[in-house]
Amino acid sequence: MGIIRIGSLLLRTSIFLALVLLMACATPSGDTYIDQNMDFGAIKTVGVMSFANLTRDTVVSERVRDVFINSLLSTGAVYVLPTGEIARGVARAEVQNPTALSGEEVVKLGGIIKVQAIITGVVREYGEVRSGTTSANIISLSLQMIETQTGKIVWTASTTKGGISILDRLFGGGGQPMNVITEKAVNDLINKLFK
Amino acid sequence: MVFLILSGFVSAEEIGKKDSLESGRKFNIAIYPVENLSATPAPLMEIKQAFVERLKKQGFHVLNEEDLEKFMAKHRIRYIGGIDRGIAKAFKEEIGIDGVLITSLELYSGMNPPKIALISRLVSTGASPFILWIDNVGLAGDDSPGILGLGLIEDPKALVEKAMKSMAGSLISYLSTRTDERIDRDLKSKFQPKIAYKSPALGPDGKYVVAVLPFLNRSERKYAGEILVLHFIRQLKRFNHFDIIDPGILRQELLGLRVIMEDGVSLANADAIFAILDADIIVSGRVMDYQDHQGIWGKPKVDFSTVLIERKSRQVVWGSNSYNEGDDGVFFFDRGRVNTAHAMASQMVQWIGEKILRDPKRVEGAKGSRGQVK
Repeated sequence: MGIIRIGSLLLRTSIFLALVLLMACATPSGDTYIDQNMDFGAIKTVGVMSFANLTRDTVVSERVRDVFINSLLSTGAVYVLPTGEIARGVARAEVQNPTALSGEEVVKLGGIIKVQAIITGVVREYGEVRSGTTSANIISLSLQMIETQTGKIVWTASTTKGGISILDRLFGGGGQPMNVITEKAVNDLINKLFK
Repeated sequence: MVFLILSGFVSAEEIGKKDSLESGRKFNIAIYPVENLSATPAPLMEIKQAFVERLKKQGFHVLNEEDLEKFMAKHRIRYIGGIDRGIAKAFKEEIGIDGVLITSLELYSGMNPPKIALISRLVSTGASPFILWIDNVGLAGDDSPGILGLGLIEDPKALVEKAMKSMAGSLISYLSTRTDERIDRDLKSKFQPKIAYKSPALGPDGKYVVAVLPFLNRSERKYAGEILVLHFIRQLKRFNHFDIIDPGILRQELLGLRVIMEDGVSLANADAIFAILDADIIVSGRVMDYQDHQGIWGKPKVDFSTVLIERKSRQVVWGSNSYNEGDDGVFFFDRGRVNTAHAMASQMVQWIGEKILRDPKRVEGAKGSRGQVK
């Protein structure tokens, strides 16, 4: 009887320890940060800066930025300034690197182009990935929103879409077209913004 | 009695036609050398000559080559993609020309199957020139192969001939009747913009003066920005709601204003353009891909974004992304395949016009959004 009790106690302890270990391995949930003190309803107009491009294709950042701007406009929730106006503001504010703005630069730029927030981004991956004989398109993108009054980051999110799935490995097919997964990635980020 | 009345109507109609034909024949035309936007060697002289011959055959008065060269040398005309106000006035006052025919060759490939694409427009002369007529044609030798390939066109000259027959026919028809062909009802839904935003400020009842700025060209195709401008002019002209400013006048004013657009049009630039041209809407954008293929293998690809800025609100009233490939929606035996970027771009741009004018306020975009303009 006593042996059975000891065995049951050991089993329970080991299950508990396994759970604790599993929880320790887990990363913090989600890839989104939202400033809880920020009133997002106050943001009526935003400027979308040129995205930083970590890929080999030179026009990728413009391509993704265009898709993002039109998708964001089409939500009807915020107005997005035309890219030419952003370029004029960047020149007037003498911003050194439009893809990575300092807090002071954001405040200065916001005053010139009259926006409540500025969105910057990084295209980390864009194009074809290969694994063995299988290939597919992939996009990986991170965005952040900076408030122009304080220069503080109020929202960040990232997403990855496309890539090689099990079905691709089994049957081939090459994944989805680049434009389609770009739209999916952008929609995912916008959903995270309006969550 | 009824027969007599009916025959009276027919003869009246015929007389009307004859009159308009006669007035059309009195129309003096100068034909500019063909602007080559294909970035490849092409039979430019032959294309121009085809227009001259067909118009002369129909009895229209075409300014001879020698006089045109003299006039161009006198006014130091080097740009043949459009005419500015000064040149238009000089054409009218000095040599009595009523219209200038400007042709831009978008694509020419002599490789089998041959391909040709061109856009021509007739611009009026005088103090305030405007576009009277514009038409386009884009053909590939394998557009309609037919049974056992009997419909294939392998000779580039035959394809040029076919294209010129269509263009000259359209111009002669315009000059004779002074009516322009309108909306193409055979629009394929696959060419709709994939993402689009439309402001409620753009109503279906409005009449707009439109300036189409050169699109920023991020594609590998030379002159893709200029080509897309011509497509926008051609397709928006189909609708009664748009008065398009000729790119020749726009170019002159942009040079005068010393406008440099590195990353699109700024509001300061837009204000200056609105004021100087009295335009209501500026169309601009970015071309990401404009690919044609040579030979049998490959497929055309067009990818561009469009932005419309409105004068009163100083805001973006339309933004869209359009992209298509020649084999989109093609599953069996190449049925529905498009062989030239020109043919795709025409439909893609016409869809934008359709959406701007005919679509209600509904917009398409992020799936999580309301999809409705506030």
